Amino acid sequence: MKLRMLVMLCALILALGAGHAGAQDLQVGFVYVSPIGDAGWSYAHDQGRLFIDKMNGVTTAYVEAVPEGPDSERVMLNMARKNYDLIFATSFGYMDPMLKVAKKFPKITFMHCSGFKKAENMGNYFGRMYQARYLSGIVAGAMTKTNILGYAAAFPIPEVIRGINAFTLGAQSVNPDVQVRVVWTKTWYDPATEKEAAKSLLDVGADVIAQHQDSPGPQEAAQEKGVYSIGYNTDMSAFAPKSHLCAPVWNWGPFYAQIVEAVQKGTWESKAYWYGLENGIVDLSPMSDMVPAEVQTKVMTSKEKIKSGSMQVFTGPIRDQAGEEKIAAGKSASDETLLGMNWFVQGVIGTTQ
Amino acid sequence: MNTELIIPLLAAAIQSGTPILFATLGEILTEKSGVLNLGVEGIMIVGALAAFVMAKFTGNPILAFALAGVAGMLISATHGVVCLWFRGNQVVSGLALTIFGLGLADYLGTPLIGQTAPGFDKLALPGLSHLPVLGPIFFQQDLLVYVSVLIVPLLWFFLAKTRWGLHLRSVGEYPQAAAAAGINVLLYRWVGVLAGGFLVGWGGAYLSLAYTHLWTSGLSAGRGWIAVALVIFAFWRPGRALLGAYLFGGVMAFQLRLQAVGTHLPSSLLLMLPYALTVIVLVLASWKSRQASAPAALGINIEPRE
Amino acid sequence: MLSIRAYKRQEPLQWRSCLVFLGAVLLSLAISALLLQVHGKPALHGLRILFAGAFGSLWAIEDCLIKAIPIFLCSLGVAIAFRLQVWNIGAEGQFALGAIGATGVALAFPDLPGYGLLPLMAAAAFLLGGLWGLIPALLKLRMQANEIIVTLMMNYIAILILDYLVYGRWKDPQSFGFPMTPEFGPGAIVGKIGSTNLNWGLVVCLVTGVVVWVFFRFTRLGFEFRAAGENIRASRYAGLPYQRLVCLAMVLSGALAGWAGLLEASATINRLQPSIMVGYGYTAIVVAWLARLNPLTIGLASFLLAALRVGVENLQLDLQVPAAFGGIMEGLILLTVLAGGFFMEYGLKLRRTA
Repeated sequence: MKLRMLVMLCALILALGAGHAGAQDLQVGFVYVSPIGDAGWSYAHDQGRLFIDKMNGVTTAYVEAVPEGPDSERVMLNMARKNYDLIFATSFGYMDPMLKVAKKFPKITFMHCSGFKKAENMGNYFGRMYQARYLSGIVAGAMTKTNILGYAAAFPIPEVIRGINAFTLGAQSVNPDVQVRVVWTKTWYDPATEKEAAKSLLDVGADVIAQHQDSPGPQEAAQEKGVYSIGYNTDMSAFAPKSHLCAPVWNWGPFYAQIVEAVQKGTWESKAYWYGLENGIVDLSPMSDMVPAEVQTKVMTSKEKIKSGSMQVFTGPIRDQAGEEKIAAGKSASDETLLGMNWFVQGVIGTTQ
Repeated sequence: MNTELIIPLLAAAIQSGTPILFATLGEILTEKSGVLNLGVEGIMIVGALAAFVMAKFTGNPILAFALAGVAGMLISATHGVVCLWFRGNQVVSGLALTIFGLGLADYLGTPLIGQTAPGFDKLALPGLSHLPVLGPIFFQQDLLVYVSVLIVPLLWFFLAKTRWGLHLRSVGEYPQAAAAAGINVLLYRWVGVLAGGFLVGWGGAYLSLAYTHLWTSGLSAGRGWIAVALVIFAFWRPGRALLGAYLFGGVMAFQLRLQAVGTHLPSSLLLMLPYALTVIVLVLASWKSRQASAPAALGINIEPRE
Repeated sequence: MLSIRAYKRQEPLQWRSCLVFLGAVLLSLAISALLLQVHGKPALHGLRILFAGAFGSLWAIEDCLIKAIPIFLCSLGVAIAFRLQVWNIGAEGQFALGAIGATGVALAFPDLPGYGLLPLMAAAAFLLGGLWGLIPALLKLRMQANEIIVTLMMNYIAILILDYLVYGRWKDPQSFGFPMTPEFGPGAIVGKIGSTNLNWGLVVCLVTGVVVWVFFRFTRLGFEFRAAGENIRASRYAGLPYQRLVCLAMVLSGALAGWAGLLEASATINRLQPSIMVGYGYTAIVVAWLARLNPLTIGLASFLLAALRVGVENLQLDLQVPAAFGGIMEGLILLTVLAGGFFMEYGLKLRRTA
């Protein structure tokens, strides 16, 4: 009797498992470079995936911790062969593999995050995180007393360098004497090392710590020392309530929903989707009460200006560390320049290698 | 660099060396009994997760720390079953344990992302902490640092001076002779595996309770492998393990501070420092010395008694 | 009272050892199925997805073979060193150096045709990979430095050298500052076999596998290797050139891992980038021991392990189990198969005791 029930139960589970995707659903696949458990980059994208998973007529699936080489090509091929309709790949190194797969499957829509290549059925997308970084720079520049800001950074790639530059420009806009010291950890989520990096910045006199790392390790270091900090990815105030001022944050959900709708309606087109504050894909988390009202107003004014397009973060004259003029007075940096940025602006102390 | 930078650097060296120290001491104990356990990385991360979970739900870091050791012990028991009962190859079993442990911790830990748990804060030892120079370096650390330092002489005493320690070593060196002398070889090897795993679990707990107070997957970030290397570096001696762990932690902290001060060297080259220095010091220390030998029966399984 | 006692088998199990192996694999799959069930996923269906992902179609098998190539070469390499009881944990670093050597040549002579360039790249990968193996061998022989720690540390150093190059002087000016070299020219790419997705690296594997097997089985030097590996002290008395054998073993070991690096860079990614390092050098150690250092079984074990990883990806996609689940499963399968090996050498007897 018990055995029969067990068999029936198994059969039921099998039946449920076999047919979980509806026939007309738009099947959306995501490829992540790290486990969702990284609490950072992939986690933020997965929050976006969960957002669209609730939409009508959409089923989603993901594969995490996929290395950027041949493994990623295989994962995307596997998705394509299973007739996924839309595939998002969320790391720079997936660009070439995705392009190869896109050429083999012209009917499937491919979207690549943080790269620059396109095909008829492949677009790319990214968020202008540097805009939010600029705003956080204003906060840091206004709050520092030592005029030294510390920046714990992961890898010297353009995305990170761009963020450091924007942060520095923001800080300089309210405090021309400020300097930003950079320490590379070569890790994305190793809380202990990242905390140690922040501590090393504190030791040389930094009194605001910013970070381009996925773990809140640097936040803890700032709180233990009793100085301010600026988070990243998500609002990190829970980790360091006494020092967390604000955080530039990702919010992929609405953007993913927009792309899904476009694909459903057949209005999707292959282009570079590079949105900023105006779209909400990036934002500044609510500022802490420790930030004085006049600073908050300044930040909000800049935010509105950036949103409306009346102000560009990278507007010349901008000089690099050696004093060479990189962006001429009155000119704004093109997206190409921003995408390939591999030099620090004046006021940053550190190397881009 | 001036003293204002050097004192925090040395304090940081101790802190970043401590998780490695716990793990190295644990692995020394295991290897002394003749069992090679390459699963240190996997045990460490399971210990870290267990500690974090317990601290979160009991709110008691000391209890959490104790239980992290038990978790490390339980997961090492797998290695014991495979190698001691089924006489499986110790290298593969250890590597498999690493893969298993990393997977398990990542899997179970996902719901805990983005949360904090109570842990250990800095504890200034009364009197001593006000000493100039030495105070800030040695006596303003957290409780677990003092625990790890205490274990060093205890482990040395156990291995060198007690009868049980002698038996454990003999089992690692000459298991046949030990068996002939009536020592239960299997029992001592089990003790080595379990007690070693317990200490390695504490190494992981240090990461999630004291070094940071949070959980992400991959928290151990390769420190288990460094511990495996430091066991050899230390010539299987607890005292030298302490030196090795602090040296390694110190160089790691040093290269970060070199960047913070402002240097033109590429970060890849700076990051090489701890690894390169470990090799150089090892080579210098082993040169023309005879003390560098491993327990003779390390990694060799014993035949069942007929 | 009944008690169980183990006894050593007098005769090897021979073909029946396959049955033992199969039994262990079945047991581990059963455990995996149980895990799936605990996770709230349909167990049998999950196993079916796992198999479909690994063997269910021609391209799945191709994928497994492609993934097995670097694992096979690395573990063939470490197996040579292990035979001599030299514990080379450094396949990961030797792999990196091989890829660096090959890339250096590919970038230096972008216009050479394949028949000129590929042999040069192979030579460079052999030399640099071999060098990365030789250094720990020399340190071991001359300075008594333990090779486990030296090879392990040299892995980290090798990866950082690779980082240094691709973040610095080898960075592609067209990559928008991302750490990767320019794409290789057509002459530097190891091509595909006919219309399949398989690359010629597979043939390299077959040839080196056979050569290594023949070497150990039929040549005098190969015999010396085995003799020295079985008893180091005795081999010295017998006048075997132990030191030279160790150097040779480590050079070959490193060179094979180097070739794996060459093939990954040239055949599958077509450039050098940091993400080329995914830990094949460590996987190789597992495979080599699991296969008991025999070149032919190493082939089988590499393929099966690659198949497991490819299959787990399919499981992730279709059932939405997390990647960590793959690690748990792989660990359990290895542990079970390992424990199962016990029954190849030992039998169990039930005994009545007083």
